Amino acid sequence: MASWPESPRLIGTSIPRLDGLAKASGRAKYPSDIRPEGLLFGVLLSSPHASAKVKAIDLEPAKTMPGVKAVLALATAGESTIFYQGQEIAAVAAETEEKARDAARAIRVEYEILPHVATERQSAAEGAPKVFPTGNTRAARAQTTGKPDEAMQKADAVIEATYELPVITHVCLEPHGLTAHWKGPDSITVYASTQSVMGVANDMVENLGLESANVTVLTDVMGGGFGSKFNADTWGIAAAKLAKEAGRPVRMFLDRAQEHQLGGNRPSAKAKIKLGAAKDGKLVAMVAETSGTGGRGGSNFPLPYVYKVDDRSRAHTEIFVNGGSARAMRAPGHPQGCAVMEAAMDDLAAKLGINPLAFRLANLAEADMVAGGVNRTDLYKEQVERGAKLIGWDRWKPRGQNGDGPIKRGLGLALHQWGGGGAQDKQVACIINPDGSVELRSATQDIGTGARTILAVIAAEVLGLEVGQIKSNIGNSTFPPGQSSGGSTTTPSMAPPCLDAVEKARDELFKRIAPGLDAKPEDLSLKGGKLLVKGEEKATWAQACRKLGMMPVTATGVFGPGLASTGVGGCQFAEVTVDVETGVVRVKKIVAVQDSGLILDMLTWKSQVYGGVIGGLNYGLFEERIMDEGTGAMLNPDMEMYKLAGATDIPEIVVDAYDTPEMRVRGVIGVGEPPTISTAAAIGNAVANAIGVRVPKWPMSPMNVLDALAAAEGKA
Amino acid sequence: MAEQDSRTPTGPGGHSRRKFLRGSGLAAASAVLTSQAAVAIEEAQAEAAAAEPKLLSGEAPLTLKVNGEEKSCTVEPRSTLLDTLRDRLDVTGPKRVCDRASCGACTVILDGDPVYSCTTLAVSCKGKTIETVEGFDIGEGGVPHAFHQHDGLMCGYCTPGFVTACKAYLDKNPGKTPTLEDVKRGLDGNICRCGTYMGVFEAALAAAKTMKGA
Repeated sequence: MASWPESPRLIGTSIPRLDGLAKASGRAKYPSDIRPEGLLFGVLLSSPHASAKVKAIDLEPAKTMPGVKAVLALATAGESTIFYQGQEIAAVAAETEEKARDAARAIRVEYEILPHVATERQSAAEGAPKVFPTGNTRAARAQTTGKPDEAMQKADAVIEATYELPVITHVCLEPHGLTAHWKGPDSITVYASTQSVMGVANDMVENLGLESANVTVLTDVMGGGFGSKFNADTWGIAAAKLAKEAGRPVRMFLDRAQEHQLGGNRPSAKAKIKLGAAKDGKLVAMVAETSGTGGRGGSNFPLPYVYKVDDRSRAHTEIFVNGGSARAMRAPGHPQGCAVMEAAMDDLAAKLGINPLAFRLANLAEADMVAGGVNRTDLYKEQVERGAKLIGWDRWKPRGQNGDGPIKRGLGLALHQWGGGGAQDKQVACIINPDGSVELRSATQDIGTGARTILAVIAAEVLGLEVGQIKSNIGNSTFPPGQSSGGSTTTPSMAPPCLDAVEKARDELFKRIAPGLDAKPEDLSLKGGKLLVKGEEKATWAQACRKLGMMPVTATGVFGPGLASTGVGGCQFAEVTVDVETGVVRVKKIVAVQDSGLILDMLTWKSQVYGGVIGGLNYGLFEERIMDEGTGAMLNPDMEMYKLAGATDIPEIVVDAYDTPEMRVRGVIGVGEPPTISTAAAIGNAVANAIGVRVPKWPMSPMNVLDALAAAEGKA
Repeated sequence: MAEQDSRTPTGPGGHSRRKFLRGSGLAAASAVLTSQAAVAIEEAQAEAAAAEPKLLSGEAPLTLKVNGEEKSCTVEPRSTLLDTLRDRLDVTGPKRVCDRASCGACTVILDGDPVYSCTTLAVSCKGKTIETVEGFDIGEGGVPHAFHQHDGLMCGYCTPGFVTACKAYLDKNPGKTPTLEDVKRGLDGNICRCGTYMGVFEAALAAAKTMKGA
């Protein structure tokens, strides 16, 4: 079994990211910034209709416009069906973006407009037009464990409620897209805003009939993906084709509206839950009917979530709507499952008159074993205790006792879980050059998580160097195969082969230079930028490397057991105030307690957790894709009416790293997803605690809060 | 099209509707006194015509002063400052995100004021001083350094906008020690999707301290 260095000098400390200054000074070149000589600007023409047949496309008017260099149809007249507003119709490349937009507008498209269903309500309504060939809805058979109906009879308290979460979109700040630059008739270099340079390279090979060796995908930095950017996409392939036709490089990125409409989204969720417990606070049964929409994609989510209910049934119905297709979004399914489960748990605790914290702890499985023989229930217990202390849970009061004036204060909590393990087939190359420079190479990428930096931390740790001395060269599809950045898998996939590569390179360096020092390789060690022989300083790092002559050391590392693990817990607490006259919710404080094995860089790790929490705060308070049932259009495909938190919306956030010796020996585990799962759930519970009424619909917007208050007063 | 200077504080040509109305009122009053009404009305009409917006079209050369350097390109009247910087002058620090003055990723400093370059026309910036993130001090006393040290960035796409807004805020409040609330208000015109606000606040507070000490 491989192991991480004992008593590390760098690992686990706070290290600013390698590319931080380049990003903060505007010098980092994003795929949308790249401007090769002769660059043309691509514009995608997308459908204004949500449901239609494309009857005719006339590209000619665009082709004759000034500055237009290439035009391409993406839909086929007489064949293509439009399933959502924003679907791809054609693409144009021109000398300026303004001219490309004019040309796209000049393309004449004849549509046969068909009936649409823009919302779940509209799609599932009786008499709704049948829009999808296999039906507007697809009900799965109930999955039943034990005898829920019988068990429910024995419950002392039962709640029955319906909870809903809307579709939200990724809102990547750098839209989806790429810049395509042909280097010869059969050879292309692509600057892609992607979470997977290998995925985009593969798409280019498949769609353009190129040899893998002739495709290079580069992603030095990129502006956010959150699960929606694994492929070249129709418009990316279009950019390559336009570039070929025009004989010049083409930059093609979605505009903001298109980014909302076709760049992906997190499916909605609706859950009608019947949950029963005995007087002693033990869950006895759960019956859940759930549904959701992912456009034409799936919307399933885990339920029950975290807590143990032996007798249960769950039936999920997919509802299809004329909206863009769902894509993976930070912890796919979990935020939805967590929100509806935790809401039901809280409502049942309130009905039983039990403190919701105690109720949760009483309903964890006795043994929830995850990798490495870790009982996650033990983790939860300690994490909840820590979180309770940090939020001041001793101030918790039952619902309806949280202030006499219009401003009510409330506390809520929620638990979450995630895997976070990695792949075992990825590689990292380490090169030590005679000039003392050290380079790491892999076809993974840094989507803002700090992947580039943690690889350098590992190398610097092993080689006794500073992090800034390591060139962490990733985001290049021609390098040794690396992990796609999704599902919190990058660190656990890439850190082990990185350690292996650097240790191999160091050992090879020792082997090669030891004879010249009249020493054995095992006598050599590295510390503080110096080469030591039997513990005595003999040369600087640069001097040692110079002894390599003309030949650099190169080594390729592979996965090693014992360096990474999977299976994390975590909990979050929220404190809110709610103005019951205006419905405005303000989050005052959030506490996030999170484990994730061995933490490599505490600074970027904390940023990930803060970011997860803020993403969850957006989901809890602000975000919602609003569809117009009349036209099938998205009403808020912008960043004004599609609400996201700004600086003054950010509460006090306390991140507590559950970073114990027991966690460190597990090895590395990813942390991108877990901290975003339970925030919206905790906020929802804090709101219910504050106002004494469950707000059954997220986001906790003034409208949804006031609706819930009105319903409780019988005025709805 | 000639190079235009249409964005004076009072609008095109230095005339405003209010000034025109006030001016014509005075002209009418004096006309009664001097019996030169016809002349006064003619003058007023001429002034009104001058105040009408001009229709510009086609392409024209434009020189902008960006980070102390004169940079020339060809623009259309509708070209935004942001697209002109990014697509024509290769100044790619400012980013295009919302393209509708909602998110602040495109923030530049125009004659000392932070503006959303996505909703500023390039032709209106002639003769003005344009500062972008690329022109800032990247040494230890600078705002970019503070963002780097405090991890005030993740994917980094909103970062140039935040750094620019932060710089403009600190420049406008010299010698002050802002509170966390001050900093939040100062940066409330910008949006981050990765959720990097905590690092941003720390960076802004640290930069304020450094600049005060400097």
